[in-house]
Amino acid sequence: MKIAALLLTLILAVFAATTVTEQQLRDAQSDPGSWLTYGKNYSGWRYSGLAEINTATVSRLAPRWIYQTGQAGSPETTPLVFGARMFVTESSNHADVLDLLTGKQIWHYHKASPQGLSMCCGEQNRGFAALGGKLFKLNIEATLVALDARSGAVLWEKQIEDYKRGFTATGAPLVVKNKVVVGIAGAEFGTRGFIDAYDANTGDRIWRFYTVAAKGEPGGNTWDGDAWQRGGGSSWITGTYDPDLNLIYWGTGNPGPGLDGDVRAGDNLYTCSLVAIDADTGKLKWYFQFTPHDTHDWDAVADPVLIDMMVNGRKVKTVVQADRNGFFYALDRTNGKLLRAAPYTEMTWTTGLDADGRPKLVPGLDPSEDGTKVCPGLGGGHNWSATAYSPQTQLVYFGSTNGCGLFYRNRQEFHQGQWYQASTEATVPNEPSTGAVVAIDPATAETRWRFEMVTPTSSGMLTTAGGLVFTGDGQGYLVALDARTGKPLWHFQTGGSIKAPPITYTLNGKQQIAIAAGSSMMTFALVN
Amino acid sequence: MSGACFAQQTQNPLAGDPQAAAGGGAAFRPYCTPCHGVRGQGGRGPDLTRGVYSVGDKDSDLFRTIANGVPGTEMAGFASDIRDEDIWRIVAFIRSLARHDVPNIPGDRAAGEKLFWSKGGCGSCHVVNGKGGRLGPQLTRIGRERSFAYLRESVLAPNNDVAAEYATITVVKHDGAKITGIGDLDNFSVQVTDAAGDYYSFLRSDLGSVTRELRSLMPDSYGRLLASGEIDDLLAYLVSLRGAETPR
Repeated sequence: MKIAALLLTLILAVFAATTVTEQQLRDAQSDPGSWLTYGKNYSGWRYSGLAEINTATVSRLAPRWIYQTGQAGSPETTPLVFGARMFVTESSNHADVLDLLTGKQIWHYHKASPQGLSMCCGEQNRGFAALGGKLFKLNIEATLVALDARSGAVLWEKQIEDYKRGFTATGAPLVVKNKVVVGIAGAEFGTRGFIDAYDANTGDRIWRFYTVAAKGEPGGNTWDGDAWQRGGGSSWITGTYDPDLNLIYWGTGNPGPGLDGDVRAGDNLYTCSLVAIDADTGKLKWYFQFTPHDTHDWDAVADPVLIDMMVNGRKVKTVVQADRNGFFYALDRTNGKLLRAAPYTEMTWTTGLDADGRPKLVPGLDPSEDGTKVCPGLGGGHNWSATAYSPQTQLVYFGSTNGCGLFYRNRQEFHQGQWYQASTEATVPNEPSTGAVVAIDPATAETRWRFEMVTPTSSGMLTTAGGLVFTGDGQGYLVALDARTGKPLWHFQTGGSIKAPPITYTLNGKQQIAIAAGSSMMTFALVN
Repeated sequence: MSGACFAQQTQNPLAGDPQAAAGGGAAFRPYCTPCHGVRGQGGRGPDLTRGVYSVGDKDSDLFRTIANGVPGTEMAGFASDIRDEDIWRIVAFIRSLARHDVPNIPGDRAAGEKLFWSKGGCGSCHVVNGKGGRLGPQLTRIGRERSFAYLRESVLAPNNDVAAEYATITVVKHDGAKITGIGDLDNFSVQVTDAAGDYYSFLRSDLGSVTRELRSLMPDSYGRLLASGEIDDLLAYLVSLRGAETPR
């Protein structure tokens, strides 16, 4: 009987090691040893309670192992960590599962991507999601695949949309209850964006929310004629989830064609917006449009971070976002009403917001045939890179670009599956953009500190109870900053450009830091 | 028509389309004008109005160059940004620019070469055919890479367009010693090569200050230093620097 009990215990231990439950996802913040979902917790904090690596000890941080992925380009992935393994997605439909102790490969996944993909920005991927014994991954040709976490075997695969029409998929899925929620890319090709939920067991689609309102639907009158059919509104960065409100928060991208607004008169709902969606039905609860009728490609896909905080003397459930248009916003996440907003970078396109948050435009700054200089540039003040929030400092951290662009426009006919942005942006001669890590008090939207960088950064943020902010830069440095002041305390040259956010977890009780850099995955821990 | 088929044409499939050049002009503006100028007159990139192209004269040569770039040069590939049909439109636009005449370059090439290596002092910072200093851009094939107007501006007003790698970096050490040159600056270190060709590398935390300015180390006094005729001679020499047929 004792042997049977022991065997059962061992079986459960092995089972637990390769399984993530819905409850674990809800309680992810109280499990600092693992990293179970894209944003660390459902609120998208990217905050860890681990404090072994802290402002006093970080100087002893050193590499533990390096895994060479063999894939070109710098990954944008957020790895998952559980069951003594690290689950890493890479570009071009590759993924690896690594032994947490040694960095050795346990299994590798690859699916050849088809010829003729229409992509704006490369065959990127930003991570797995997990539930039960399954991993969920988007592939570039707009498929969603479920893998056995132990072996990598394909359990099911679904085509979300037709890549020949310009759809691609690059984000990390978000598991909510028994659903796998995913976004889509392709606004540069005249597609109509959406957010989908799939049954985690079968891969059957449960609901779809179109991010572009059709003619006759609420919001459909914000599009001219049939322009909504090519309206864009990609949803390429993972959203967040409030279990109590049962709402999913997800940012939407630019309208199409991006730089020629004349062919799509109106506000173009729900592009460049934050949408709150019922997790069970996919129905819209509320929306907030940051940039109505955008003509500068300012996707509003940045992480919607959920924070309960005091605003004007009362506790409010908020959602905050450092939007690409240059404003940092705090909204009431129960109803989408604006609470606070303030610029965090140089802006020339607006004189401010009205009481409802609608921007007051400076006239004459639409893209033109001869180029129109606008700040921020096409990449915006803060693009997609991961945001972090520390309940310890009560600050929000993100990477920012300081700079402007020359926006061009031309008339372009729509051809299905082909580039449909109606021109692009050029750099302003003799005005190179620079970067910064920005720390903002979300209750006031005021900037507390900035760590200036020589070039813009695409790496995201991690913050910890050790009073630190970790991030990377384009020149290959992994950096630790003092979370209260922005003072750099430690850096390490990884040898490869960093476009991914760092994560942290424990191995045998010791805190580790992991980061994708260049064509490698690296981990770090304290040395004596 | 699929993109792959479209790209394999040797002649421009839109050559007979009167709208093609106009459409190509619109596509040319954002992608090409930063280096080749609004009218293709050249600048940081070659003059496209001469009707002769170093990458080859066939339509497919121009298509390939726009799509894939030219390795070893500043010409990037745009295949992922511009669809094939629009690349062909740009080819049509470039063809429409061609004047097929040789610009009249005043000045004496031989006198310019002598100036380059003597009174002008250009060779102390610029390499031509393996000879010269390394602080400024290599000029071995600069006549192929830059337009005449751009070269003239570069000689007389070198600060008007400074590539990032030729920005002026100044480091000041804690003892007040100052080093100025070109180099590389990142968030934690700086590497500088000064006018003497000496190389330095520092951690920024070990320095008093570091600044980078989009200002050229090249003197902006050539308009005063050289007579008008001498400027013409120097430019005649620079325009003649055609280098190898294919870049290294």
